[in-house]
Amino acid sequence: MVDALVEVHRVLAPGGILVDARPDSRVPAYAERRKPRGFQRYGVVNTSRLELANDRASDRAISLVVREGLFKRTRGGRFWHRVPFSDLAELRKYLWEHLRFVHRAEWVVGVATRKHHANDQFVIRRAVRYELLEALPSRI
Amino acid sequence: MSSVANDSVGDLGRHVPALSSALRPHPLDELREWGGSPLVRGKRVLDLGCGDGRLALGVARFATRVEGIDPDPAAVAAAKRNARKAGVRNVRFTAGAAQHLP
Repeated sequence: MVDALVEVHRVLAPGGILVDARPDSRVPAYAERRKPRGFQRYGVVNTSRLELANDRASDRAISLVVREGLFKRTRGGRFWHRVPFSDLAELRKYLWEHLRFVHRAEWVVGVATRKHHANDQFVIRRAVRYELLEALPSRI
Repeated sequence: MSSVANDSVGDLGRHVPALSSALRPHPLDELREWGGSPLVRGKRVLDLGCGDGRLALGVARFATRVEGIDPDPAAVAAAKRNARKAGVRNVRFTAGAAQHLP
């Protein structure tokens, strides 16, 4: 990722802004059932080890280019969004195919409850983190 | 502004590009979190890892010009189709890698 950041710095004018936005693996995602009012937490969905390692590598890359004086951190944060699923089976299929997450949620409700509401609408609530980095003039 | 959205090897977008944009926040929600339209208004925007153009097309109304780059040619083709469908003219999509920008 360092190569990509150096390349971005090359094409950005000084003062240009790089937005680094990616799923936030420092917090878990949540499987939730949609209720008439609000959502009920059904389980916790953790990030896969591979993606945790990738995210740490990306964090290190950002720190490196900031240390090297290519970019200056200006602002960052995290926001949540919900990925909708028509039923529990579709959510499970998503987890199975999605390599960012582990394949199975850690359910916080019992089997009977999951079966009872299997045809309800579900969501995965996941966090996205972002950071705005300002390109600094090249020293060369 | 550039968006290094996601170039990690394990993301679903690499495997199911057609689904990837449905899994992302709405572009305007994302832009609002980042600071709103002033961040891109009247500027040239580079969207790295643009996928099917969800974010690029979302911010195109504010920006002077948007360039979207993605390593997946199928995703780029989908982005071009989406741009045609939406009638957005100030966006260009190219297959390529963030390590070698044009």
